[in-house]
Amino acid sequence: MSDILKREVVYAITGIITVLMLLEYFFFDTSQAWAEALRTWAVIIYNISLFLGAIRLSIAHSVRIQEKRRDWQYSGILMAIFVIQLLTGLAAYITTGVATNNGIYNWLFNYVYTPLGATLYPITGFYIFSAAYRAFRARNIDAALMLIAGCLVMLKNAPVGEAIWIGFATLGNWVQFTAQVPGMRTLAIVGALGLIAFGFRALLGKERGFYAGGGE
Amino acid sequence: MAYPTATMDIIGLWLGWLLMLMIYTYPLYKENVTYRFAEHLFIGITLAISAITNLSNIMRMCVTPLMQGNILMIVPLVLGLMIFTMLIPEYRWVSRYPIAVMVGAGFGLGIRGTIKPNLQDAIIDSITAPSGGALIDWFNYLWVAVGLICSILYFLLTYEHTGPLKAPTRIGRLFLMIALGGYFGNTVLFRFTMLTGRAQFFLQVLKLIPM
Amino acid sequence: MSLGKLADIDRRVFYWILFVALMVPFLSPIGFPITIAPNTQDLYDGITGDEVNEGDVWIVNFGYGVSAWSECHPAVTVCTKALFREGAKIIFTGIHVDLELTYNKLRDTCSEDFADKVYGEDYVFLGYMTGGESVVAQLASNIKSVYPADHFGTPYDDIPMLEGVVDHSDIAGVLSSDTGDYGGHFMTQWQGAYGSKVAEIGIAMNGSTDLPRWQAGNFFGVSVGSRGGAELELLIGELGEATTAMDSISVSHLLLILAIIIGNIGVLTEKLGGKK
Repeated sequence: MSDILKREVVYAITGIITVLMLLEYFFFDTSQAWAEALRTWAVIIYNISLFLGAIRLSIAHSVRIQEKRRDWQYSGILMAIFVIQLLTGLAAYITTGVATNNGIYNWLFNYVYTPLGATLYPITGFYIFSAAYRAFRARNIDAALMLIAGCLVMLKNAPVGEAIWIGFATLGNWVQFTAQVPGMRTLAIVGALGLIAFGFRALLGKERGFYAGGGE
Repeated sequence: MAYPTATMDIIGLWLGWLLMLMIYTYPLYKENVTYRFAEHLFIGITLAISAITNLSNIMRMCVTPLMQGNILMIVPLVLGLMIFTMLIPEYRWVSRYPIAVMVGAGFGLGIRGTIKPNLQDAIIDSITAPSGGALIDWFNYLWVAVGLICSILYFLLTYEHTGPLKAPTRIGRLFLMIALGGYFGNTVLFRFTMLTGRAQFFLQVLKLIPM
Repeated sequence: MSLGKLADIDRRVFYWILFVALMVPFLSPIGFPITIAPNTQDLYDGITGDEVNEGDVWIVNFGYGVSAWSECHPAVTVCTKALFREGAKIIFTGIHVDLELTYNKLRDTCSEDFADKVYGEDYVFLGYMTGGESVVAQLASNIKSVYPADHFGTPYDDIPMLEGVVDHSDIAGVLSSDTGDYGGHFMTQWQGAYGSKVAEIGIAMNGSTDLPRWQAGNFFGVSVGSRGGAELELLIGELGEATTAMDSISVSHLLLILAIIIGNIGVLTEKLGGKK
């Protein structure tokens, strides 16, 4: 019985909800209340599940501080700013309904989160630059085509390309609007077919990777 | 936004400038204490902001309607709380139920949504011949049509790419390389634009250019 | 200096060269001219003139966070200005936890256009949503179920401009600005399902996937990264952040192409010399 509850019932729920979503789309002209309810529930569950990451991370760093593992001081900084931002935000949210009404929360949001968030991701720009002269070698026809297409698009995107020679813009546009279309459309079509196949496998209970967290 | 005049805003601006330089010590120098400090600061603050934003969303979508009399909202609330059983090894299987709801809805919507734009419209646009007579239009049309067929054949992984499949799959691979090259060219614009924004901020705080 | 020695140079030297090179055009602008791409022209045409009626309700989705402000924000600024000047009403939504910062920045960059607009009557900030394709699909069938209240807690039914706005059929168009998949979700769940007008104001990386969709008619227009933003600024006649950044983009791209050429000269000479 417990095995049925742990597996078959779960797969059945997945399959039934998938079929209901398809039924609504193909057999009804307007959206149905039962389908709307299911979608809303899925969205709410998704929102709640996002706390899981926060909890796991908090536990991991708290353990690190407690056991004074290597570089535990950084975990201390992490937990300290987490607690400050959380408490100030919660205080404002509970009293006024908007977290940014708290001065400290708002200040940290604007002057700590923003520059850090805006700076961490652009670091990859440096790595593209070093990869360009170290790794991007046109050793065969495939790589050469890829590099040529890339350079033409770059010269099209940067206004200097057209300033050097108008042909760069023409060629770049041709790559953007024609040359790369078969490849990108193929990826979209193959991805769509893969999603449909994967979805039907999940519907039939053959895809179980999502439920690995259950331990069996 | 003009250069701030309030003291706390000016302090914040310069703090942001310093934090940016701390992050840039990693690529421009090497991994060091200041980088690790800034990195952990970011993770901690993002965690808190995410927690509060998601909490307010759950309150708005689920808890408040429940308190106002929508009894059915107890279902997603309970299902959502069941997901935390993932943290308890012997009860982890309970978390499969909310995951089943999310996966079922996601797949159902994904399957029904992808058919028209990603299959029907894409294929129709690829095989629709140009209405005009210009040579370049016909060349482009043949390029896209032939390229699409050959590229799709490349993904036919259940057959070996030999014999009659050898030439079209090889051509398909070349088309895919061109597409990935174009994708790389656009990626460069994305990455460098983000860097440009930071370079601009660097100069704006120093008042070398207007904010 | 031989090419072999070039490759041995510490990569940090190149990073510093790039970092400094990016700043020079801001101090000494060049001003290369920009031409308008057809996808950007279609986007602009779709949000101006006869395509937009006074009182039409549009959704502008902030699918980007602070890290992509320089990529997406200029184009979103222009589109917001264009819609406001046509008399459209705008619902602002978002999928990043920092969307309030983006909304505040938009209010700053479009301050003149927001000045004569009334919150709740001409525009509303509904706030954060998350849930992938499910939430976008649910938004199409029942907006109030996703947003029972706006970001500031005002109940949906108490917001004047949302009276009678129930689902996709009450929305004239969607502009989704994305670093990820949400533009695709709006395409599948709004345009594909109901034929809604959807346009994408995406990062440049999304340009490769979105341009074929524009060609197939799924998007009525596409803005590709900061280049798209600069083109839109030219179209509306108000040059801004994206145009200012284009010189720096030009220098960085030239440097990268130079790096690729230098890196490949060795390969080329080997092949021409017939050596293995």
